[in-house]
Amino acid sequence: MADTKKVTFRVQRGETVQGQYASRVEEFEVEYGRSTTVLQALEGIKADQDGSLTFRRSCCASICGSCGMVINNRSRLACKTKVRELVEGIPEKNLQGSDVIEIAPQKNQPVIKDLAVDISEFYQKVDKIDPYVQEGKEADKQVTKSSFEQVNMVSNCIMCGCCYSDCTEMVESPDFLGPAALAKAFRFVADPREGHKTERLQELSEKNGIWDCTRCGMCVDACPKDVAPMEAITKLRTRAMEAGVTDNPGARHAIAFKNDIAKGGMLNEPMLLLKTLGVAGAVGQLGNALHLAKKGKIPSIFPHKVDDVHEVESIFKELDANPIEVETKQEDTGPGAG
Amino acid sequence: MAKKALNYAYYPGCAAKQIQKEADWSARAISEKMGITLHDMPKATCCGAGNLQEHDPAAGLAVCARIFSQAEEMGMDICTICNTCLQTFTFANERLKNEPELLEKINAVLSKAGVRPYMGTIDVKHLIWVMVDDLGIEEVKKHVEKPLNGLKVAPFYGCHALRPYEVFNGRGGQSPQYLDTIIGAIGGESVDYNGKDKCCGFHTMLVQEDTFLKMSGGHSLEAKREGAEIMVSPCTLCDMALGAYQARSEKYLGQKIDLPEMSISQLVGTAFGLDHKKLGFNRLHQNPEKVFKSRGVA
Ligand code: SF4
Ligand code: SF4
Ligand code: SF4
Ligand code: SF4
Ligand code: FES
Repeated sequence: MADTKKVTFRVQRGETVQGQYASRVEEFEVEYGRSTTVLQALEGIKADQDGSLTFRRSCCASICGSCGMVINNRSRLACKTKVRELVEGIPEKNLQGSDVIEIAPQKNQPVIKDLAVDISEFYQKVDKIDPYVQEGKEADKQVTKSSFEQVNMVSNCIMCGCCYSDCTEMVESPDFLGPAALAKAFRFVADPREGHKTERLQELSEKNGIWDCTRCGMCVDACPKDVAPMEAITKLRTRAMEAGVTDNPGARHAIAFKNDIAKGGMLNEPMLLLKTLGVAGAVGQLGNALHLAKKGKIPSIFPHKVDDVHEVESIFKELDANPIEVETKQEDTGPGAG
Repeated sequence: MAKKALNYAYYPGCAAKQIQKEADWSARAISEKMGITLHDMPKATCCGAGNLQEHDPAAGLAVCARIFSQAEEMGMDICTICNTCLQTFTFANERLKNEPELLEKINAVLSKAGVRPYMGTIDVKHLIWVMVDDLGIEEVKKHVEKPLNGLKVAPFYGCHALRPYEVFNGRGGQSPQYLDTIIGAIGGESVDYNGKDKCCGFHTMLVQEDTFLKMSGGHSLEAKREGAEIMVSPCTLCDMALGAYQARSEKYLGQKIDLPEMSISQLVGTAFGLDHKKLGFNRLHQNPEKVFKSRGVA
């Protein structure tokens, strides 16, 4: 083959034996050309160097979602990632080039063998959000094309688990529903035909749901289909508060900001705590507060007012009187959407 | 060639104004030294931190646009020292710049409230971007009086300055460099560790404290294992999570961490030979003096 170069693949291999994961790292020399994908390189290793290397794949065209794995520290689809890009770097993602390609199984899930992980929990969580339109009294009879501007992007999800694997919240909180399931939940909340929107929002506002996301953005970065789960989670929060599902710390916290900004312009941290957690919760935070106080870090109960803060009050009043629509939308991106 | 004037509309954020005052003090002190002029924004409110934006997206955009308009009137880009402010602003600014209809709608609201409309011409930058991109790292080096002598520094970038990479125009993304560049320029040695571009969990602190303490404490422990003697972040909220709350993490994890944490401005200030009191060292929860002494950075 003309124009081929060589690069080292450092592959984390291993399997789970009697509940214990035993891993090792093996290196393979791989030849690649302009358009060789990581998946093709792995196929090459399996064919020519070690037939026991285990990974999943099917479509080779970023449709089936089976080849998600950790490639140079981030979860990516092996069939969509070019070896050349990893070696040379991807400027738009500010990813520096690297002379070794490191391959590992997806995170936040148990490894079965080599690069194949057990995806059952990932699927169970999607199942938990009832991934189908339900009949009920909130169902709209009329469905316009524009109503799908909210649903389109989430419908592109191919269940590859890349977001789930890179989700930072999941690392310390394994029961978190996770980006993909929550994004899918948004798809049903936003679907005009759905009959139980409010009930869904209530359930999603409970523990391990929308308010547990740290907003770290990892899922947005990881998703090969531009689903942007974090954006969907944010929209779920907005819709939950709109629907009056506000009896939880997450919502109370978010709501407290508006009042503070309107009143003095700045956050009133001690009051924020009270409003978010209630008196009992705030007392629970007393240890933290005293700890901060040791270093003189006691925010004033009456923070300094910013100049012309009445302007902000006028802005809020105007928006209350004449609300405007600002939600982001996505066009139909072709087959598979909708 | 005449040196270009570096003037910015300075937006420290609520945390730096109320709790993490040392980040504000040191940012001002090092900027002065480097000839970066930070101009106060007396009318600027809290940015909403993403929370207002979730609760009331239109109000969230309008509040940001009002702040941008002030900077525009001053004829300057905004410079901030908090990642969450940076991201909240950047989200809003990207939309207002790229969606003319949206800008028009928001400006109509501003006008009715007697606020100057926003023309979509400013950029929002972090102080560390200003130091590297606008001032230039060679300029930064010129002010070093007490180089860090190979001190091992763990950079904690903080997620809100990195993702989604699309909105940061090449300044966020998957191989962040700014902190490493600055640490190198002042004589330190960057420690590489997995957590450096992950999340400290700050924004779920009130919803689920245990997860937050595990996340933040975990990053500090990992950095320490990789040899870090000190940790720095560019964000007042990361500072709080990793520094001010470190003892809480220790208690929760039942394990000593003992890794001094400070804002990047405080570390730069140290290398510039600024007075530690002026840099707010007495407000830090882990005393860094021992570490500096051991490297001869008295
Ligand atoms: S933004 Fe939320 S859902 Fe997405 S990776 Fe981070 S914690 Fe997980
Ligand atoms: S942030 Fe992204 S990857 Fe993580 S859980 Fe949400 S959608 Fe999935
Ligand atoms: S949201 Fe994106 S990353 Fe997550 S499973 Fe779906 S396609 Fe994969
Ligand atoms: S690391 Fe924590 S405090 Fe820093 S930007 Fe991310 S969530 Fe915010
Ligand atoms: S093989 Fe189907 S998505 Fe990669």
